[in-house]
Amino acid sequence: MSASIHVSVSTDTLNIQNAYDFVTDPAHGAVDVFVGAVRNHHEGQSVQGITYDVHEALAEKTFRDICLEAQNLWEGIKIYMSHYKGQLGIGGISVIIAVSSPHRAESFDACRYVIEELKKRAPVWKQEHYEHGPSEWLPGHSLKEVSSG
Amino acid sequence: MITIHMKLFGGFRKFGETLDFAVPIGSTVAAIKAVLQKKLNGDGLVLDSVLANDSAILRDSDVLDSDAELSILPPVCGG
Repeated sequence: MSASIHVSVSTDTLNIQNAYDFVTDPAHGAVDVFVGAVRNHHEGQSVQGITYDVHEALAEKTFRDICLEAQNLWEGIKIYMSHYKGQLGIGGISVIIAVSSPHRAESFDACRYVIEELKKRAPVWKQEHYEHGPSEWLPGHSLKEVSSG
Repeated sequence: MITIHMKLFGGFRKFGETLDFAVPIGSTVAAIKAVLQKKLNGDGLVLDSVLANDSAILRDSDVLDSDAELSILPPVCGG
C-alpha cells in the first residue's frame, strides 16, 4: 500500500508536479492543488520578496498532525504538504498542498482545511522585503492557544 | 542551575541565532520566558510567544529539571 501523507520543509524550489504525482490514485477521481506564491504588494507597500523562517522539526510534526486530522475528517484522502524555507522573489512558490479523493467535494474541503490550519499552527514566519523601507517580520497567530488547548 | 540553549526564530532573529543562559533547577516555562524577555531587552513579543522543544509546544506551567534545548516561537504566519 502506498503512503497517503507526504510532509516536508524544503530549501529547494517546490515542484507542483511532485505534489500531483504523489496524490494521484486510480481510485481517486479528484485532485485539488493549492499553491501559495509571493505577491508584489502588501498593505500599500511594494514587495520585492519574502524570507521564510521555519522550525523544521516542529513544522513537519505539525504538518503531519494536520494531515492526520484531515484524514479523520475525510476518510481515504491522500495529502501532499510542503513549505519552502529561505528567500523567494515575486512569484516564488512558498507552499504546495495537494489532496486527492474519490470525489471533488472532499478534496476541496480537505485542502482548504489543511492550508487554514497551517497558517494558524505551523511554526513558519515571513520577513517581507520592501522596495522602499526596511524589511519587516509580519505579525501572525500566537501559538499560546495551541499550547493551552 | 541548569543551562537553557534557546533557538531564536522570526522576529527574534535580530538578536541572533541562539542564546544560552542559566536558570534555577525546577524553573517553570513561564519563569524561563521572563528571564528570556530580560535578556532580549524587554521585547514585548515574548509575551505573545511560546517555548517549544523539537516535538511539542510547552505549557507555561511545565517544569524543567535539567539542561534543555528550546525554541522561542513568535506568532506564526506561514503559507
